[in-house]
Amino acid sequence: MVAEQALVVRKRLVEVDHAWKADVYADTGGYEAARNVVTSMSPEATLELVKASGLRGRGGAGFPTGMKWSFVPKDVFPKYLVVNHDEGEPGTFKDRELLESDPHQLLEGMIIAAFAVGASKAFIYCRGEFALGSRRIDQAIRSAYDNGYLGEGVFGSSFDFDIVLHRGAGAYICGEESALLDSLEGHRGQPRLKPPFPAVKGLYGQPTVVNNTETLSTLPHILNHGVDWFRQWGTEKSPGVKIFSVSGHVNAPGNYEVPLGTNLGDILELAGGMLNGNDLKAVIPGGISAPLLTTTDMAMDFEELQGAGTMLGSGGIVFMDHTTCMVRNALVAAQFYEHESCGKCTPCREGTWWQVKVLERIEHGEGRKEDLDLLLDMCERMDGRCFCPLGDTAAWAVRSNIKSFRSDFEDHVAAGHCTYETDHRTLVGARAGATGLGDAGVTSQPSAGIGSDHDGHAR
Amino acid sequence: MAEVSSNGATKVLVGEHYDTARSIISKYPNSRSAVLPLLFLVQGLEGYVTDQGMRDVGELLHLTPAEVLASGSFYTMLKRKPTGEYLISVCRNVSCAHRGAYKVIAALSERLGTEPGSATSDGKFELETAECLATCDGAPTMQINYEDFYNVTPDGAVELVDGIERGDTVTSFRGEAVKTQREISYETAVAGALLPGTAGDQEARTVGGESPREDMKVGDRPKLDHSEEPHGG
Repeated sequence: MVAEQALVVRKRLVEVDHAWKADVYADTGGYEAARNVVTSMSPEATLELVKASGLRGRGGAGFPTGMKWSFVPKDVFPKYLVVNHDEGEPGTFKDRELLESDPHQLLEGMIIAAFAVGASKAFIYCRGEFALGSRRIDQAIRSAYDNGYLGEGVFGSSFDFDIVLHRGAGAYICGEESALLDSLEGHRGQPRLKPPFPAVKGLYGQPTVVNNTETLSTLPHILNHGVDWFRQWGTEKSPGVKIFSVSGHVNAPGNYEVPLGTNLGDILELAGGMLNGNDLKAVIPGGISAPLLTTTDMAMDFEELQGAGTMLGSGGIVFMDHTTCMVRNALVAAQFYEHESCGKCTPCREGTWWQVKVLERIEHGEGRKEDLDLLLDMCERMDGRCFCPLGDTAAWAVRSNIKSFRSDFEDHVAAGHCTYETDHRTLVGARAGATGLGDAGVTSQPSAGIGSDHDGHAR
Repeated sequence: MAEVSSNGATKVLVGEHYDTARSIISKYPNSRSAVLPLLFLVQGLEGYVTDQGMRDVGELLHLTPAEVLASGSFYTMLKRKPTGEYLISVCRNVSCAHRGAYKVIAALSERLGTEPGSATSDGKFELETAECLATCDGAPTMQINYEDFYNVTPDGAVELVDGIERGDTVTSFRGEAVKTQREISYETAVAGALLPGTAGDQEARTVGGESPREDMKVGDRPKLDHSEEPHGG
């Protein structure tokens, strides 16, 4: 049987031209769910329905959405809804597509969520680098106001709801919800101590629900069709459909929406199979933070992946074929974490820097045999010792590369050079620049001062 | 006559730009939230975040210039020195790295004769490497002033630079015309400012450093009480 998508959240943007336009959205059933909720349902009933659906957050942590909402105290005002549209987990590009191609669906989900938790003000924290998405959502918000879907008396009810669009400025860590809130308050985006959780004390110290774009975009469908309909897909604990972003060495990279629990091999088939028919070497199953798999025989849901020692995360799947050097893969990941570490916790700030140092010398043929165990030791000293998951995942990424592909690292050390990449100009790391070819681009100096100007490296 | 700052320098956020800044601030319950949009505004007007721009932002938000710098310096899109008119950001993260991103970086470096992080001598271009731009389906990808280019080849990237140099209109993978660095910074600054809604018209409204968050109030910072700190732990 050929694998098929179960189109729900992506349905409109796949099947209808210009799905991002207000009239197209309205003509294809748009805003019916929100109108129904606001004019004929109670906030409590709305919350209960979402709770019963079992919808889990699509940003990475997979926390049940209805439960998150239920932590919001009823009698404290104002409350805020904040959309986490700071998509930046390497290998993930689903929220970008949803905002660019179906922004009204997000707005409709926001109206439902805000009504359920009693928030009358919302912010969309839109990643700074998303110029087109920002234009599309700006236009969508404007027309929603014009049509009476936003502002005073939404759909003629007594529910008032305002949305403010806020742009990020380049920082991966702001995808972590408490760092996002600090950023939105005008501070450096550094994670906060929890508890208190944002639901109790979030933006400006007020009760705040932070939800991901895909999560909110799923709500109109659940409200339109009901709990049983949503639960026809997935498993008891991971119900519904999920968008997977598939990239790497595949023939047809793209977003694919399938039931949770779908076999990874079927998702690979949807993405056209391995590029050039090459052999599979490794798979990142849920964004770069998720430890590697070496098989496609895996049910893609939260529990199964956790059981396999990795995670569903953001749903960013990266397939790598047998031509891939895992030293490079580990170094690319390590440099990412080194650059994005916010600097708050010592194990992460220092550990990621040292990971890069050691991996760079292996990449450039100057590694020592003992470096592999040194790296694994560093991972032990980072994992579980930081405020937020960035430090943990930096450890997981490097550890998983070494544990699954130790021979790649040993070969690098023994040969004194990369056994895959013959062009030294395109090795990864600062030392490539030091060869005088002037093309490396990436330095590993901790960035200081405003922006990327100090190290020529953004985000 | 241009407004002059207390240090004798010409102010940046004056006249219509002051009004724009005020309308951005009015969106938020706490004015400090406007610090990033206002720094984008300065960058849109000056080409980068200037010292005077930071002073103006601080004055508007009741923050010291040091506090403005502290917030702004965290973010890669805010540039602290003159930046090329066309900023080319090549993604170097996992999907792009495995599909040839480093060849694109090498080719652009050679064509522009500059290291990532420096503008060309004429100030026209600047190359930087970027972390995942959420365009992995088009790997390797890059942005020119934050417009996306998919499936970039070394030759294709060089051709885009040549096109801009010739004065051609260059459009992204999604058909968006590439703007200048100042134009896109300005657009980012005012992204939400012209929309009808506001989250700022409520009782909780506060100004500047006076955050409603207890641990962030000016003059009321958490004090370290060393007497209660465990010793030798």
